[in-house]
Amino acid sequence: MKQARRGLLLAAALVLLPQAAHAQKKKPSKGGDTAAAPVDMDADQQANPPASPSTPPAGGETTTPSPEGLGTPPATGGVDICQITPDADVCKAQKEINLAQEAKKTIRAEVYAVQQQYVIKAQRFEIMPYFEFTLNDQFVSHDAPGLALNYYITQVLAVGVNANWYDGLNADSDFNFQNRRAARIAVPLNDYQLSADLNFTYVPMYGKFAGFGDFIFHYDVYVDGGVGLIRTKPIPIIDPDNRSFPDWNNLVNFDVGIGFRIFFNRWLSAVLEVRDLIYSEKIESLTINAADPTNKAFWYDNGTHITNDVQMQVGLSFLLPTSFEYRLPK
Amino acid sequence: MKRRFVRAVLAAAATAALLSATRGARAQEIQLTGPLKGAPAVRHLRLYRGGRFEIAPTVSFTLLDEYRRTILTGARLEYNLTDWIALGIWGAYGAVSITTDLTDRIDAVAPRDSLTASNVNHTGSMVGALGRASFADQTAKIQYVAAPQATFTPFRGKLAIFNKIFVDADFYLSLGAGFVGLQERQFCGDTTKGQLPCSDPKTFQLSTQNKVAPTFGVGFTFYPAGFWSLGVEYRALPFAWNRAGFDTRGTGPNGNFPDGKIDSNDETFAFNQMITVSLGFYIPAKPQLSE
Repeated sequence: MKQARRGLLLAAALVLLPQAAHAQKKKPSKGGDTAAAPVDMDADQQANPPASPSTPPAGGETTTPSPEGLGTPPATGGVDICQITPDADVCKAQKEINLAQEAKKTIRAEVYAVQQQYVIKAQRFEIMPYFEFTLNDQFVSHDAPGLALNYYITQVLAVGVNANWYDGLNADSDFNFQNRRAARIAVPLNDYQLSADLNFTYVPMYGKFAGFGDFIFHYDVYVDGGVGLIRTKPIPIIDPDNRSFPDWNNLVNFDVGIGFRIFFNRWLSAVLEVRDLIYSEKIESLTINAADPTNKAFWYDNGTHITNDVQMQVGLSFLLPTSFEYRLPK
Repeated sequence: MKRRFVRAVLAAAATAALLSATRGARAQEIQLTGPLKGAPAVRHLRLYRGGRFEIAPTVSFTLLDEYRRTILTGARLEYNLTDWIALGIWGAYGAVSITTDLTDRIDAVAPRDSLTASNVNHTGSMVGALGRASFADQTAKIQYVAAPQATFTPFRGKLAIFNKIFVDADFYLSLGAGFVGLQERQFCGDTTKGQLPCSDPKTFQLSTQNKVAPTFGVGFTFYPAGFWSLGVEYRALPFAWNRAGFDTRGTGPNGNFPDGKIDSNDETFAFNQMITVSLGFYIPAKPQLSE
């Protein structure tokens, strides 16, 4: 009978033991719930890893890593690992390094605001398909698909080419027609066929943003400039009965731009750029040669017409190879 | 039969056990250990906005203008309820108005005759041809804008320039209603309302109009110091107005032909974009720090 009671008490204790464990309170954390901590927006990662000190926090913050975790045994509580395994590397290092002497040394550590940039671009190729929209021409818009190919010689400097194809997408606006009808004034207009430029890209700015306090994304800002070719021809407006312009003119253009790139991962990013193509346009002559309006020598205006075609480019950037290794650890 | 049933039950039970085990694994909490256990990812974050008033003088430059560019000077006053939401108002006055090349060209080249008499300013005093008057005088101007708005700041971060200069920054979105005061060519041509015919030189004078339009802006704020900031903002105020003072619509198919009247039919929609730069000051001067 007594054995049966003991058996029942033992069984009851065994049943209650896991419940007690379940009900155990969590140890209060000093800094809050880590589950709420921001994580890097990184499509390369298979799952959301916990936040780590290697991710520099966003915006004016200071992070102070604890000396714990660097091999120092816990001051209170727990077990000193060096008492158990004195041959461990951590314990040997503690014996060999005189901390008092080391502390007196002058440290000239160069600390960057963003240690280990999120994306290493040096010696990688960039393929950037995009679509550009005209920003500054109310009369004819010159929208076009385009492609840019760049090679990053260093982390901040790239050389590359880009090309736009406009033919078929030039669009004469209603504004142009209404203005012509109301004021009896014609504005010479041109169509574009293509443009291609050799460019240098410089990346002076980079950084990161925390979005909604929940995720972090990295970005950079670049400027570019170069020289190239643009092919245009006038739309006959002044004397369409006698004039036609079937041939495209090859014109030299210079381009300058500024772009903003948001990284989704270490090889894919979205790009927004504003670029200005500057060139001397050949426009239709505003005057008609009354003696012989079919004489082609009088169809073009002889003046210099510096033209700015300001474009907004929206595209994607692919960096190849898709992976890289950092030269130094964090 | 009975054996097959037992096998089926056992297989179902095993599947259920497997699924329940998988569910358990999904719900598993990630347990951080080491020095970061329980630590926030961002410590001592400077809360540049939360609980502070912002007074920011602004200068705005209109973009893609057809006939007139306007430079507006004004200010933005906001109270930041939290670090990510603020309520306030932006107001600006059209201090400078500059004609575009197109306006100058129309002024210089457009004929003043019976065909353009309703559309291009003239004196009407010369015999045969009409005398020239300034076309620029009939083009519309923005006088003022007042926009109560809410500002959301979802993104907060920092920027490194040349790897030497480091500055905190945020990205914001403003939404509000814009009350716009305009100087627009006065309505004319509707004789039933006692209006003058549009060919009358007196009708090229401007009159005051008021518009209400939605407005939104997106911008970056840079914080070189705790009590002041620099901002760059893109803003749009989409509404329709008659910027040239032309009679372009009102009759014919789809109303796409001139009807001899200047009225609301001649107003065309424009996005009315502008770039604003601002210099912000904050009260209290010292930002709070997060934990």
